[in-house]
Parts: sequence; structure tokens; C-alpha cells
Amino acid sequence: MFRTVLIANRGEIALRVARACRELGIRVAVVYSTEDTDSEVVRYADEAVRIGPGAAQASYLSIPAVMEAARRTGAEAIHPGYGFLSENADFAEVCAAEGITFIGPPPEVMEALGDKSTCRALMADAGLPLLPGTLDPVSSPREAEVLAAEIGFPVVVKAVSGGGGRGIGVAHSAAEFPAVYRETRRHAAAVFGDGRVYLERYLESARHVEIQVLADRFGNVIHLGERDCSVQRRHQKLIEEAPAPGLDEDVVAAMAEHAVQGAKAAGYVGAGTFEFLYDGRGRFYFMEVNCRIQVEHPVTELVTGVDLVHEQLWIAAGHPLRIGRQDVVPRGCAVECRINAEDADRDFVPTPGLIDELALPSGPFVRVDTHVRSGSRISVFYDPLLAKVTVWAPDRKLALARMGRALDEVRLEGKGIRTTAGFLRSVVDSGEFSTARHDTGLVGRLLEPRPVAGEGRVTAPSHAQQPPKAS
Amino acid sequence: MSTPDSVATLDGLMNDGRPDTLPSVLEAAKASMIELLSQAPFPPSAVRVTVGPVTIEMDWPGTAPDAGTALEARVVPAPAQTMPTPGDGPVLDHIHAPTVGVFYRAPEPGAKPFVSEGDTVVPGQQVGLVEAMKLMIPVESDRQGTIEEFLQPNGALVEYGDPLCSFVPADGR
Repeated sequence: MFRTVLIANRGEIALRVARACRELGIRVAVVYSTEDTDSEVVRYADEAVRIGPGAAQASYLSIPAVMEAARRTGAEAIHPGYGFLSENADFAEVCAAEGITFIGPPPEVMEALGDKSTCRALMADAGLPLLPGTLDPVSSPREAEVLAAEIGFPVVVKAVSGGGGRGIGVAHSAAEFPAVYRETRRHAAAVFGDGRVYLERYLESARHVEIQVLADRFGNVIHLGERDCSVQRRHQKLIEEAPAPGLDEDVVAAMAEHAVQGAKAAGYVGAGTFEFLYDGRGRFYFMEVNCRIQVEHPVTELVTGVDLVHEQLWIAAGHPLRIGRQDVVPRGCAVECRINAEDADRDFVPTPGLIDELALPSGPFVRVDTHVRSGSRISVFYDPLLAKVTVWAPDRKLALARMGRALDEVRLEGKGIRTTAGFLRSVVDSGEFSTARHDTGLVGRLLEPRPVAGEGRVTAPSHAQQPPKAS
Repeated sequence: MSTPDSVATLDGLMNDGRPDTLPSVLEAAKASMIELLSQAPFPPSAVRVTVGPVTIEMDWPGTAPDAGTALEARVVPAPAQTMPTPGDGPVLDHIHAPTVGVFYRAPEPGAKPFVSEGDTVVPGQQVGLVEAMKLMIPVESDRQGTIEEFLQPNGALVEYGDPLCSFVPADGR
């Protein structure tokens, strides 16, 4: 096993990885920006190296700075967490060239799977079902219009290099298409430095279901079951759970089989996630592969008892998988809510600022992954994730009641800061979600202005009010 | 557009006539805006940033500027600068490490240092370099002044923002 691992990330995932390292007797080194000088993980680590200013481009995304920190701390491996450099094939290559283990798949695998177009072609060859769409990037607006008409509306325009819910545009009709196409290309070029896009049929009401896999460098691949991540707003996940409620066991088994097949075909190594859309009528379609640990990994950990970061470290150290499929016995139900510093009443605008007082949930079967405390400053430089609250229960009904109770326990005081806890509570309490009849359109429907009976005017649901208590 | 509650003008940074001033003005404008946003009583409805000369405007609809509560506009220094220390002696400033790495005072071993203590430097003049992953990142002065003392030895391991040398700015600010 490694003696020292450098964590090239920040926030809750940096602390999560640091804890796993500590449990395995691995020395913890971290990088940090000036904005994160007082962060929990800097306090926690055995060694911390200040690598740049708040702007991620000059700190967490600076390959020379991260590599210098690795050299200085004597790290034998780098854990990239999620986001930042976690799916950067160039970075993985630099690590390899410097003799440092990148904790993730090999650079060439990451490159093939990170390019959505190459990935779709690879997975089509491996027999995974794809939505109707283009395998190659679209070369011109005119060609795009013709192909979109052939695919049939609604059509989703996706950035070849996109990810994390960004670089996606949906056109519901031929009239809408040119503007959506132009805007997605422009956004992709600006954000990812790659304006190439491809087209796919858009499923209006689908479930987002993903399969967690673990693979070693000897070609062994297992899956750890599925997660349902259908509660999303603008393609950003808000609530995740395991197992996917209301899904036929055969459908999940077939999806998992395809994921293992895809991972083998790609030569995948490490922890990875295969994302699918399920149409509610027995059909599912492959979307993409996430070559990293994911934000929502705790729900899988709680139902399987497998520590995914431990397994990542074990595999990266060159060992064969130490658990087999037979060792993965899912039990009960786990639900995760992402508590963001955002104002749900004002279109989810981020609310940076200083946290004066903070109390996060605890109690039986409640796990909180966070990096903030009273006195923390929520920086405008980074994502607004404050905490992930994950609960476990023997069944979904109790898990949702437990989540409702946990969300009610979130208390935050700080000038200008709002959290999404109240809004998430209203989603958990909604009839569609609590009876597992939801899909990826749920949040949009809950936020839609709707007529108020007898008043003849429209209003948006208020999330400022205290949601009803769970019965 | 309603009356801005907060206006920061950075004419001084624009008036030195150098084409490479713009990035530092933008950096300072961004830092200033972030600082103002983080201190605002509640988020503004609009923010406008113009460059040349730089102006930051933030609007809070329905609120008239109030002498007691209006935010004081100010420019936050970029990490490569520090504010002058009040006192009777000469005003000191510092040049900071632009990244984590190894600090060198000369372009190669045995070569003459870029500058020596007591030398006068002009904006953009290289005073050292930081090596990170075989990349040589120049360390430059962003203003005119006299190098007083190097605070890090040649070959020192430095982190981002570490002060590398002190100097006395020519304009006393």
C-alpha cells in the first residue's frame, strides 16, 4: 500500500479521501488554495502545500503546481477526488511520466471514455443499448438540422467534452433547434475548450439510473448495484438513492451486466460509474461513463458496506479485487441529499458568505459528509455544496422519514447564506417522489408556476415556509 | 439602470501606460467584486464590471444609497502585492511567489542574479524565477521601486504567495 497519498482536491471529498487514507495507515498530503487556508482538510492533513490563489485555474487545475506538491511531499500516488483534474487524461499521463500513481483509470481509457463521441462508439461495439443519435460529432449547423429531424424531437445537444451536467441543451422542436445548437456549441467551446457536439433523442420522462463498478488491472470487473439519481435540476443531481425504487429486478440486472461488459471492453481500472436512462417501460439506454469517485457514492457504501475509496486505493496500489460479486449483498435503502448554499426562492442563486452558526443532522443511521463548520466562509470560487446528508433504513419509507427528520435538523445562520435543505424537504415529501413515481422532470414540475385554486392567478410554490413534518 | 450603491474606479491602475496592466486590473477588479459581494447584506440584483477605466457597479433595486450602510468601495490587492505598512520608516512592499516551486535568483547556476539588493526595478522587470515541474515561471515586479532585501535564499522551497523579497516602492504607496 502507499505510504503517502496527495489529495488534489478540496471540500468534502478531500476530507472523505483523507479519512480513508488515515484508516489505511497512509500519510495524508493535501494541496490548497489561499481561499482554503482555514479548511478542515488542511487542519486534518499530515502535510499541506499552498499551490495557488482562489481561482481554480491557477491552483487546483494547475498541473505543474499539483505535481510540484506531489514531489515535495514524497507522494507515491495522487487521489484527484471528483471535478478539477479527476477526469483529465493529460494529468494522468503526467503522473505516469513522473512515476506517480494516478488513482483512476489509465490515461488512454480516460481519454476514450471522456470523449463522449468515442465513448458512444466504443459502448455500441460492446453491445450497450444507445439512444438514437449521432456517433460522430456534428460538423455543421445544416447537417445538425437534418440529423435532428431524422432522430426526431425532442433532441438533446451534448458537448463531446461535457460533464457534470454542463454542456447540454434540449430542443423540443425544429424551430427551437438552431438556437439550442448554437448556444450549446458556444458554451462548450467556452467552458471545455472544445465546441464539438453530438445529438441524441431526448427522453422527456425517464429515470436516471447508474451502475457502480470496480475493476482491477487484471481484467476483473464487478458491479455494486445501482443508484437512482433522477431528482435533478438543470442536469445537476440533488437527491440520490440506492436501490432504485420501483425498478424491475431483471431490468437492473441487465443494466449491471451491460456496465460490466462495457468496463471490460474499455479496459477500465478503478471505481467507475455507467449512467443509463430508463424509459419506465422496460427499456434503458447507455448515456456515459464517469471515470472517478462520484458525489453520490455514499448511498452505495451504505447499502453494500463497501468503502469505495478504500477499494480505489487498493486497486491503484496494484492489487487484484479483494471482493467478489458474491460479497456484495445490498441491504435496506439509502438516500442522499446535497445541501447547497443556494437560494431556492431566487432561482437557486449561490449564496456565498460567512457561516456564523451551523448545526448539521446526526442521530441513528445518518451520515454527513461536509467540510464546513461555524466560522467557515463559503467562497464564490467553488461549488456551493455545503454537505451531503445520507441516511440508511431497512426500507424506503423509513429512509424518507429519516431524511425528512435529518433535513429539519439543518440549521445555518450567516448573513446572506441560504441552504437548499427546505426545498429538498419539499421534494422528499412530494407525492411523486415518496411513491417512487418520479423521473428527471420532477423538480421542474415542482418549480413550475401553478394556478392557485379560486384566485385566478399563478404563483410559484414557496420553499421559504417550513415544510410539513413527516408523519 | 438604478443608482449604483457601490462604485470602484481604478483609474490609477490604468494610467501607467503599460499594455500588460490590463490583466492585473482585471484581477484586482474581480477580487474587489468578490470581496464586495461577500460583504453585501444581501445579494445584489445586478452587477456590472467595465474595464478601461475599470468600474464596478452593483444594484440593489428599491434601496437608495444610505451613508450609514452603503458599502465602501475599495480595491483589494492582488496576491502579488501587499498594502503599505503605516509607520515612520520607508514604506515596504513585497514581491510574492507566483506558484509553489523552487525559487532561484539567477537564470541558471553560476549566472549573475536577475537583480541585487539595492537595485531599482521597473514594472515588468524579472527579479527571479520559480521552478515547478521543470517549468520556469518568472517572478516580476509589478511596480517601480528599490529592492531592499531577499527573504528567501537561492534554491528555497516556496509556496504560492510566500514573500520573496521586500522593496521600497518609488511612489511611496
